[in-house]
Amino acid sequence: MEQRLANIWRMSVNEKKFIENALLSDHRVDGRRPFDYRRLSLKFGSDDGTAEVQLGQTHVMGFVTAQLVQPYRDRPNEGTFSIFTEFSPMADPSFEPGRPGEAAVELGRIIDRGLRESRAVDMESLCVLAGKLVWAIRVDLHILDNGGNLVDAANIAAVAALLTFRRPECSLGGEDTQSVIIHQPEVIDPTYKEEIIMGGRMTVTMNTNEDVCAIQKPGGQGVKQSEIMRCLRLASQKATDITDKIKKAVEAYDLERAQRKIRRHSSSSAQAACGADIKMSKQVVDVTQKKIDGFKIQSKDPMNQEEVESDTDLENSNTRGENNSFQQVDEIHGKMKSVNLFTGRPSSWHPYGKGITSLSTCTSSVALSAPRAMEAEKKDTVALERPNESKLEKPSVEATVDDSHTKEMSASVQQVNQKKSLKDAVKVKSRKKKKVASTMVGE
Amino acid sequence: MASYFRRKKITFWPCGFRISGDTIVLAAVYGPKAGSKKNESPEKASIEVLWKPKSGQIGKAEREYEMILTRTLQSIFLSTIHPNTTTSVIIQVMHDDGALLPCAINAACAALVDAGIPLKSLAVAICCGITESGSIILDPTKQEEQEMPAFAYLVFPNSSLAVLPGTPPLIEGEPVEHGIITSVTHGAMSVDDYFDCLDRGRVASAKLSEFLRKNLAQSQIPNHSSKAS
Repeated sequence: MEQRLANIWRMSVNEKKFIENALLSDHRVDGRRPFDYRRLSLKFGSDDGTAEVQLGQTHVMGFVTAQLVQPYRDRPNEGTFSIFTEFSPMADPSFEPGRPGEAAVELGRIIDRGLRESRAVDMESLCVLAGKLVWAIRVDLHILDNGGNLVDAANIAAVAALLTFRRPECSLGGEDTQSVIIHQPEVIDPTYKEEIIMGGRMTVTMNTNEDVCAIQKPGGQGVKQSEIMRCLRLASQKATDITDKIKKAVEAYDLERAQRKIRRHSSSSAQAACGADIKMSKQVVDVTQKKIDGFKIQSKDPMNQEEVESDTDLENSNTRGENNSFQQVDEIHGKMKSVNLFTGRPSSWHPYGKGITSLSTCTSSVALSAPRAMEAEKKDTVALERPNESKLEKPSVEATVDDSHTKEMSASVQQVNQKKSLKDAVKVKSRKKKKVASTMVGE
Repeated sequence: MASYFRRKKITFWPCGFRISGDTIVLAAVYGPKAGSKKNESPEKASIEVLWKPKSGQIGKAEREYEMILTRTLQSIFLSTIHPNTTTSVIIQVMHDDGALLPCAINAACAALVDAGIPLKSLAVAICCGITESGSIILDPTKQEEQEMPAFAYLVFPNSSLAVLPGTPPLIEGEPVEHGIITSVTHGAMSVDDYFDCLDRGRVASAKLSEFLRKNLAQSQIPNHSSKAS
């Protein structure tokens, strides 16, 4: 017991007093202003769903994995979502391996609550077979280095990892968290040493719509109402900042990932390039159709989700989720096939990609996305993005043009099927999709 | 004791230097810490290894890796310098694309050196596999590992000999210690094949240890930032 105490690093009284006095005169030891965040750097791993966050000295990694499991009895249509926080002993000599301590449990709960309450993860879209099989998403957060403010870094890692995670059918949108630490002088994003001397802390989870998703204030010093309001306002500011940073990083990563695939497509042989498609065309036509149905429809949603994310249009996402589950319930067989196919190559599916291999639908997919952007300002950004994507898609399209008869066959089959699938989509989906289909038919 | 109580982190890639699909392992060393483990004798220092997989629960495989790593490091660790202490080595798997254990051993060794823990010699690990056609390949990817009928993880010591017993084997003109610290094999291979693997592995480990020494020497020079107490 004494040995464990001996291993804990203690701060001297002099140092404590120094930091306190500095804070009282609005000076922070590392030179920041009281409400400045440390530099945030976000890196992604080669696998989908891995994110590494560095917030100053604090270093957190998030990994997202999915498994097919049986759903809970009272929620047969919803997938499950769980967060595992690992306070690795490499982060801090005081972290012991084995059972998670209080701080670890609290951190896990804050992040879990933030993501669940803000409906960042669409549970219903995780359903594969109602009542039998759903996706269980598991987020593992590894704390690699404790430089203070683990909650924020861990939350950003979780959100970033979820944003870049792709399971065979669907991608996930995310929100964001803020940690506002209160001391006699208030300070945001404390470092390790500041955390040691602080009297209390408050964590506010907000989404970019300026809705408060969760607040956690476990004991500590009492705070006046006015101060809490000030903190909330500050939190909303920082939340938008950080969400922007995360989005930019995720977009850059998505672009790079798409480019990687396209390079692979155009450089490799004809057969290899469209391996997945050829497999599809070899299967029975209606199964192929169902699969394309599934993917075409699904691929619209993440595009929309990403566009609409910052508006947090919960109703929209919920209806889409329901529609997805209808589609899934109807075409269970097709879905299962597609799941099997894509366990080997999960990265072959990505939100912008489905239209790539068929020739004329390349342009139509561009047209598709434009009208779907409901908001005026979103349209501009989408229109800007889409030409980029279509330019990227064009080289691979040209590559497929040069290919053999079988390829063209499969392409035309897909094209025909896609036209069919969109009409089917009209019947099942809401009126928004009808608008899309009409433009499609018009072409 | 205070001067050693430092933590260093090293990220390590295997000798393949592939651009995509690298095996990445993060190793951190804390120590020497006060107190030795329960069953260990307080007359010597003990070493403790914690293996953290990328995701999922900790199971038997992780315990096996920990055990192999502990035994390997114990042979290069000097346990008489500070008795009744524990040095913890924490391994975090970031990405696994084959040859995971050798990568971890190399990372742990580099982390120990970076933390300033005195060692007898460097331990250099490589992975050697025998393909179906009978050829030997070094540092296979995960896919190759699964397809191969047999492969072996080999750990060699890397220290030049001061006293030369008889005619020692020369590697690049310098007498080096001969022997294996650890050998873990999967699958069945003939004795001749195994010896072939050993030979190739020896040569490869010499190259790898050159690389290690060079990099560690370079990183020591500007390196005074540490979480020292």
